[in-house]
Amino acid sequence: MRAVFNYDSLRAKKARFTARFNNSWRIICYLLAVIAALGGVILLLERDSLGWLVMSLAGPLIMIAVWWQGDLRTMAVRQPAETIDDILSADILGKLPRKPTPRQIAEIVGTVRAGQFMAVRLGITPNFLINIASDNPDQTKDLWKSAIAIRRRTGSTKVTGAVLAAALIEQFPSHEGLLASLRLEMADVERGIRWYERLKMLIAEYAEKPLNTGGIARDWSFGYTPLLTRFAQNISQQVSGGTIMTKTDVHNDSLERLMSVFSSGGRQNIALVGPDGSGKSTIVAAFAEMLIDGHADVPASLLYQQVFLLDASSLISVASGRGELEGLVTQMLNEAYLAKNIILCLDNAQLFFEEGVGSVDISNILLPILEAGRLRIILAMDDQRFLQISQRNTQIAHALNTLNIDPTGEDETYSVMRDQLIRLESQHKVTYMYQALTEAYRIGERYVHSLAMPGKALKILEASAGYAQNGLVTQQSVHDAVEKTLNIKISSPSTADEKDKLLNLESLIHQRMINQTRAVAVVSDAIRRARAGVRNQDRPVGTFLFLGPTGVGKTELSKALADVYFDGEGSLIRLDLNEFVRPGDVSRLISDGAEDPFSLTAQISKRPFSVVLLDEIEKAHPQVLTTLLQLLDEGILRDERNREISFRDSIVIATSNAGADRIREYIERGYQLEQFEEQFVNDLIGAGLFRPEFINRFDEIVLFRPLSKEELLQVVDLMIDGVNRTLEPQKIQVAVEPEGKRLLVEAGYDPRLGARPMRRVVQRTVENIIAKQLLSGTIAPGSTTIISAEQIESSLGRSRQAAKD
Amino acid sequence: MFLVGIFQWWYGSGWLRHLKRSYVGILRTADFFSLGLLARTLFNPFRQISATSGVGSLPVKLSSFFDRLLSRSIGAFVRSMTMLIGLIAILARVLWTVISIIAWTLLPLTPVVGFVMWLAGGA
Repeated sequence: MRAVFNYDSLRAKKARFTARFNNSWRIICYLLAVIAALGGVILLLERDSLGWLVMSLAGPLIMIAVWWQGDLRTMAVRQPAETIDDILSADILGKLPRKPTPRQIAEIVGTVRAGQFMAVRLGITPNFLINIASDNPDQTKDLWKSAIAIRRRTGSTKVTGAVLAAALIEQFPSHEGLLASLRLEMADVERGIRWYERLKMLIAEYAEKPLNTGGIARDWSFGYTPLLTRFAQNISQQVSGGTIMTKTDVHNDSLERLMSVFSSGGRQNIALVGPDGSGKSTIVAAFAEMLIDGHADVPASLLYQQVFLLDASSLISVASGRGELEGLVTQMLNEAYLAKNIILCLDNAQLFFEEGVGSVDISNILLPILEAGRLRIILAMDDQRFLQISQRNTQIAHALNTLNIDPTGEDETYSVMRDQLIRLESQHKVTYMYQALTEAYRIGERYVHSLAMPGKALKILEASAGYAQNGLVTQQSVHDAVEKTLNIKISSPSTADEKDKLLNLESLIHQRMINQTRAVAVVSDAIRRARAGVRNQDRPVGTFLFLGPTGVGKTELSKALADVYFDGEGSLIRLDLNEFVRPGDVSRLISDGAEDPFSLTAQISKRPFSVVLLDEIEKAHPQVLTTLLQLLDEGILRDERNREISFRDSIVIATSNAGADRIREYIERGYQLEQFEEQFVNDLIGAGLFRPEFINRFDEIVLFRPLSKEELLQVVDLMIDGVNRTLEPQKIQVAVEPEGKRLLVEAGYDPRLGARPMRRVVQRTVENIIAKQLLSGTIAPGSTTIISAEQIESSLGRSRQAAKD
Repeated sequence: MFLVGIFQWWYGSGWLRHLKRSYVGILRTADFFSLGLLARTLFNPFRQISATSGVGSLPVKLSSFFDRLLSRSIGAFVRSMTMLIGLIAILARVLWTVISIIAWTLLPLTPVVGFVMWLAGGA
């Protein structure tokens, strides 16, 4: 085909005529035809032969209206296509001038439906296209060539406004950078075209109602089902009549297998086994639709069979006891069998095969029926539970035909999302942008662990509908929904406050801890990298090993970080690894959240955006450390149900006191941390305290040095600030004289324990003094009390005396 | 362009489209009355009422046999009546289709016919 536009072709002329002769003209034609016919009849009744002529005018008018509707409006492509006008969509073709420039074409694209689709769904607005389009008519030929190629690649029937939008972008020299500003790639634009084509096809299919529905006598040969109607959902009734979007290509293989099992002479049952969210219910709905609407590939024995969905949990809640449940299920199975057109689908079927809270084991009733294989039954089950049931009761596994429903891959998930959006959009009265879909997929893959794809992406999309802006669900809506529901920070720092906070993290952290500037700097840098989007997305935000003596601020830095940046100390997940000293303790790290809400994997699932503090890591069993290797390396840990739990939005900090005495020695001999850091780490490895592969997994190994007395004075200030915060509701302030602070430092200083004894000293002195003054009424609200060195000394003396006694 | 375009379509793809739509209309009527299904299930028990085969003594078996017979007879009667009505409806639909196809074919000639009749002065 030649990339040439023939302005004078018949198709182009017809398109221009259509552009002028719109739908209102068609209605006028019909009206005039009626008037002509009636007028003609009236004249003939008046015995005027002119009536024939007037009446005959109705014919051409009707012809024009029918022609418009049948040909001009849709205007099929010309076969074989020779020039571009043979395959251009009519709405574009009718508006093209004789020698269009790319810019004129861009202007036209913005006015047609497909172009508007690209504007709304992908953000490729008319202005965007006009700005990048050339004004040189000589470049139009290249544009046509590009459009022809894109049409072929995307399988589009015509060169629509969507195809031309993509071609205009492709023609722009540095279009990759341009698309990046919209968070798109060329492949995404082509996906957008396929989405438009798919919607057109679905609408066309929906308009063509099924032809083999069974009519008024469809159910005359089948029995009544009062019990099932009461306790079960008739899926077939819900989806009959040519629903839009139920069946997607992803499910073709599964549907074929269902057809083959139920049309063969074998056992008439099938177990759909797959994780929640993998699409089991959608497959059942698609299967029900095919049967009830008499699709061409449905065998005669399955035509007009109806699928009733029995939800195990609701059935168990209806029946008061085991006996009643067994009776109810037996009656329903009988009813289904006698009706002869029922396929029962037991959702959450595992609840019928196990004893426990919310489940009743009625396998004694179901097993004979499944083994006989005469009643058609579909069982939908979670894969893990199916394995457990199969191990416990091998007869069940042998009686069932199983069909594994695997989670969908990326392309398949996009197809499902695309189709399911029709339902979501009509339910929530919103429009989803393509960028919202890509983000829902990315975030779902990373943060939603309870469901499989495509369920996880759909769940996010559904939640995002509530955060639509002006009816449009954008990437930001998805971020807002996820940030609110999962408490994860995803979007780039947008407010000036947040940017300011990020730039001044060090000073904010130093408001609650003294010195250790290197440690503060490395964690601050890690957070800035993460929030600016320049970090490796497949690892945790940062992994640090803090080494140093007790009481120098290792844990305090983790708490400060959680408080300053991760929304409070509640975001600190702390594990004392001295409680994980046996090989069996690995299971406590990764146990299922339903059974142990305090396991590491359970806690991070609930708060992915946290600081994970692994205290006293040197005391953990080597197997526990080996388990943590993957966490440090890839930012994931598999829980005991083999689900990937992401740590990729957390900061992992491990602390250890190992070699604390060596650090002290070095410092006392006048070394700076940087001078002995490497040697120190090598010594730790040499002493067998840490394995090199473990040490190498950390982004940074940070040594904390012991605090000097001057620094402890600052620690005292921080502690007094803490006391003041506690006293704030009583409107009382406290201050300690400088000499008093020195006394506190002398009393609280212990080179082995760092600042840790200081808290006890402050408690025994400052807090006790204030408490007594409060009780004796010597301080009034609104006043500031200054504690003198004498008061401190006397208080310390009492404490020492009490200790001696 | 106008005349070429409209006549080309009217007696080409437009005419085929009209034929197809008329045919689909007939199929839809046939589907509504389920003639094929009714014929295949003519003697099936109506809504499976009393359709179970009796197990037990001879009187029980006999009773259930006559129950089934009654159910089948009712089914056959209802289905036969529906088939009859359906056949009439389909015939009417076919007749309408034939008329519409003839009308489609002759519609472009109406101005000529009208002109001739006007000149002939018949009223």
